[in-house]
Amino acid sequence: MMGIVWLAVGLTSCGGGSSDTPPPATQETVAGIDANGDGVRDDVEVYIDTTYPVPAQRDTNRALRQVASAAQVTMIDASDSARSVSHAAERFRALECLMARRPADFHLVFVELRARVLNTTARSAAYLQADNHVTAGNVPLLPADQWVSACL
Amino acid sequence: MAAWPLESAHAQIAPQPACQTASAPRTAVFFVNGVTTTLDEARLNAGKLELEFLNQLPAMSRAVQANCHVFFLNYNPTAGEVNDFLEAAQQQLGITPTTFWLELEGLGLFTPQLIRDALQGPMTDLNRIDAATIQRHSAAYREQMASPSCRRVLVVPHSQGNLYTNAAYDLLFNQPPIQSPSAIRIVGVATPAQTVPGNGLYRTSTTDALINAIRVIRPAILPSDTNWGISPLLLSASYSGGHSFIGYLSAEPSRTDVLTDIESSLNALSAINPC
Repeated sequence: MMGIVWLAVGLTSCGGGSSDTPPPATQETVAGIDANGDGVRDDVEVYIDTTYPVPAQRDTNRALRQVASAAQVTMIDASDSARSVSHAAERFRALECLMARRPADFHLVFVELRARVLNTTARSAAYLQADNHVTAGNVPLLPADQWVSACL
Repeated sequence: MAAWPLESAHAQIAPQPACQTASAPRTAVFFVNGVTTTLDEARLNAGKLELEFLNQLPAMSRAVQANCHVFFLNYNPTAGEVNDFLEAAQQQLGITPTTFWLELEGLGLFTPQLIRDALQGPMTDLNRIDAATIQRHSAAYREQMASPSCRRVLVVPHSQGNLYTNAAYDLLFNQPPIQSPSAIRIVGVATPAQTVPGNGLYRTSTTDALINAIRVIRPAILPSDTNWGISPLLLSASYSGGHSFIGYLSAEPSRTDVLTDIESSLNALSAINPC
């Protein structure tokens, strides 16, 4: 599993592929590389597309991209309390979409993705820092029959 | 476990029939998370509770079905404890962040000493419970029970969330305006507490490694009264510790036990007018 991350980091961090050895994940910035600017870090994008290929698992692929994108802005803005609360709402909508798409195994699917998203100490710390700004009183829940409407 | 397809764009979840009727009584159902639960995990745990409840609802009593159940999350912020746990796991075991996040809920990679050092304090020391969080939780229950909402309240806390729920319950009846004790019920899951107030119910599994570790130093905590059977979850990295809320609501008989307690509590609440 880590091999996928290393491979992805290597492919996306070296531009022209000038090195055979990918840089250690611990040396990466919190934001990492998002070469195509779609809001999902490239190594995470590779994981999602490899594990949940389109078109066979299009709905799961899109839901996980939504989760990853929300996590990405959450980490980047982790020092900003107001933005953390706003991003928490985006995370909840993304998770509700995932639950709508994968009601039987959404938790395992999420845990595997989160492990790739939070693959460095700095990213883990940023994610937890953002959580500290939020109390759920600020973030209403959608009822289950409306979860699918949270999908972008 | 619910018979949901793995992926289907057509797996639309039906609304509760009573929620289509504006005059139907409303019951607020709160999930309260435990100590290793991030905000995302807490949302997913609350979602699992709602899904399993809705799956079981058609088989529940008419009195329960006559209510519209509105789900809430009373978040118990635990980022500090998770960060402490991450640092300890990296320093003592040398595991990567990726492995940490994969194993967090399962607790499988963590040594008993690490669990004890990082988690038993927050799980057992009432002085480490955040007063502001208790106030916020209690206020949320009060708002639901009081006019104009006039809703019955069911609280389903997991793990350390039981300690917060017990404290919030006490606050509810020790500060004016005093609410009706019969309008709120508790169904605890994986509890490290010694009681459930208001004659509430609880379920703790015999295979819950974290609660069993706490029981060694706090023998007076509530005894185990359910289990996960021979669930393969106990062999998976994400659930092997037997403590995960998702696991409690996936394995049998714990899932049925918890849902039975919820139905029983909702039946009792259905006879109550909070206002």
